[in-house]
Amino acid sequence: MKTEVLEDYALKKRTRQKGSLKKVGIIGAGTMGQDIAVIISKQGIDVIFIDLTEERVDEIFNEISLRLDEIINKWGMTKSEKRAIISRISGSVDYNDISDCDLVIESINTKKAGSSKELRKNVFKKIESVVSKDTILVSNTSTLVISELAQVLDYPDRAVGLHFITPAITVKVVEVVKGIKTSDKSYEFVVKFAKFIGKIPITIHESPGNISTRLITTIINEACETLMEGIASTTSIDTTMKKGYGMQFGPFELADRIGLIKLVKWMENLYAEFGEQKFKPNPILKRLVRSGFYGKTSGSGFYHYENGLATAETITYPEIK
Amino acid sequence: MKIIVLNCGSSSIKYQLFDMEDEKVFAKGLVEKIGLHGSTITNERDDGDKVKLEGEIIDHQQGIEYILGVLSSKKHGSISDFGEIDAIGHRVVHGGEKFSTSVLITDEVIKQIEKYIDLAPLHNPPNLKGIYAMKELLPGLPQVSVFDTAFHNTMPIYAYMYAIPYTLYTKYGIRRYGFHGTSHSYVSNRACEILGNKYAKSKIITCHLGNGASIAAIDKGKSIDTSMGLTPVEGLIMGTRSGDLDLGILTYIMRREEIGITEADTLINKHSGILGITGISSDMREVEEAAEKGNWRASLGLDMYHYRIRKYIGAYAAALGGIDILVLTGGIGENADLTRSEICKDFEYLGLKLDAEKNKGVRGKEKVISADNSKVIVIIVPTNEELVIARDTRDIVSDTVK
Repeated sequence: MKTEVLEDYALKKRTRQKGSLKKVGIIGAGTMGQDIAVIISKQGIDVIFIDLTEERVDEIFNEISLRLDEIINKWGMTKSEKRAIISRISGSVDYNDISDCDLVIESINTKKAGSSKELRKNVFKKIESVVSKDTILVSNTSTLVISELAQVLDYPDRAVGLHFITPAITVKVVEVVKGIKTSDKSYEFVVKFAKFIGKIPITIHESPGNISTRLITTIINEACETLMEGIASTTSIDTTMKKGYGMQFGPFELADRIGLIKLVKWMENLYAEFGEQKFKPNPILKRLVRSGFYGKTSGSGFYHYENGLATAETITYPEIK
Repeated sequence: MKIIVLNCGSSSIKYQLFDMEDEKVFAKGLVEKIGLHGSTITNERDDGDKVKLEGEIIDHQQGIEYILGVLSSKKHGSISDFGEIDAIGHRVVHGGEKFSTSVLITDEVIKQIEKYIDLAPLHNPPNLKGIYAMKELLPGLPQVSVFDTAFHNTMPIYAYMYAIPYTLYTKYGIRRYGFHGTSHSYVSNRACEILGNKYAKSKIITCHLGNGASIAAIDKGKSIDTSMGLTPVEGLIMGTRSGDLDLGILTYIMRREEIGITEADTLINKHSGILGITGISSDMREVEEAAEKGNWRASLGLDMYHYRIRKYIGAYAAALGGIDILVLTGGIGENADLTRSEICKDFEYLGLKLDAEKNKGVRGKEKVISADNSKVIVIIVPTNEELVIARDTRDIVSDTVK
């Protein structure tokens, strides 16, 4: 069969359409970056992620594969769907490989203490140096504001905040954040993108913590306060919030899932911004982090974990008999 | 009269250009990977000219623009001017309770189809995209909507209701709607045409056995029951869908496997059926091959598949109070002699006897395969949904013009 160029059969000649989406770049493929890659590839869009070393790139493919196997084992996907998803994902250490992306997502993850602001700004700058003028840049940050990251850009109107909530594959909402200089065009593009990848976009004017982080940090902080005062045990507080208010996870389970280092970092950013006591990381959180209890992935946080299941509380108070 | 028939899926469009003078197909084709990387259109003209076009198609509207571009092109086209096209026929999956026949598309109709998105969230939206696109590209041209559910709208209420609280029916319209209606309607009509039977007097059971599969009981030309329900999961065992299932099993699995609604949905739609049982494939041919080589799970899958169909035939014979004609269609019904002979087994008490010789090796051809002395006639009729859509479109448009 002959193969020809489709464009020769257009009714009216057109240039490459604005608003089309063929390839997305992701900078930083930790758990979040990997989940985002899967979500996008699942919709048939090519994805390329950039990470630090070649070895890390190989590891990331393994991690994605394991993550998808977990979903298959829980019946959420078929093997052929997994193959298709992985075939559309590529990895690299070279920023030049994202030059043809229509959208680039910054989702770096650092375990270092302190703000990741400068690091993220640097990433934004590097992205802009290789992509075309029409490429949209988004950051997955939740506690930093997009306008500040966009300062380093020659075209700050293309920067949008897009905050995924963990576990990104299953959580149905994303926060789409508009900075002061974000153009309507860029913003609409990202809202459309969010819908395309099957998420419900929550539109937000920029503010540190958006909705999700701002509210969850205060809930967790207040739960820590309640625990610190010795009012009830970790499990009792979690159970009350789960059974009483239909939360899927209690505040401490959630803290362990988010990871306590990240949580403290969020709180510190919010505290620095708002100066309000309610955002100041509770001493219990800091105590756990200093003890190396980072949450579920490290094996201990507010709970000790064995094979992913909570087995015992780490902080215990005498219960009322 | 020239008619374009469109079947818009989520990322694909199937199309055919008919000349209704002699119901000839001038051209047909397939648009693939809409909105994805590496979109293509394959166009096939009746004179054998075949071409594949590669490029970028961002949405259905652009896909349809290119279809019109190819159909009207000098090199691979079949028409010289869009003025030659008289009407567009669309396949629309869900017509709910409102549409019992095909209809001329008006703003009112579009609104109603939009309302039914709730009932067919994967299918009605792309169907609508095709309608919107044509409305914009060829404004004023009559468009007709042919519904997958319409043929089954004649089912009696006791057949389409589920025994769950009645308010769920009034609130959400939960009831049996059935699918493949265009196919069941076409093959049952065509069978009577071939056999010279009066459609309005016959008791017919039609088996549409493809990747999706359903069976319908047709009494005096009217569908009185069908195996698919509110969704296409119910009824026969399919490639990857479970078909009928004890409802308690689903909630039990969800509890034991700690899975949510999405996973449960994938489990019964994509991991089950022939694939789930055999662990080999959802493709009947591969499963048959494995069974021949002695794979017992493949044999089990086939046994279950055939048994389920036989059970339904028996049930529908009871619902109809007898059976005159059994029609087999769809990829498996039209091509698999083993399936055909297995599902017709042990029906002598009904007066149904297959002729093994006649059945052997028939592929995609209209043919009677029951024995000469069989009271029930078993016939293969390859389905042709596009032709039904084209015919309905012609009839509705001619009526409206008059």
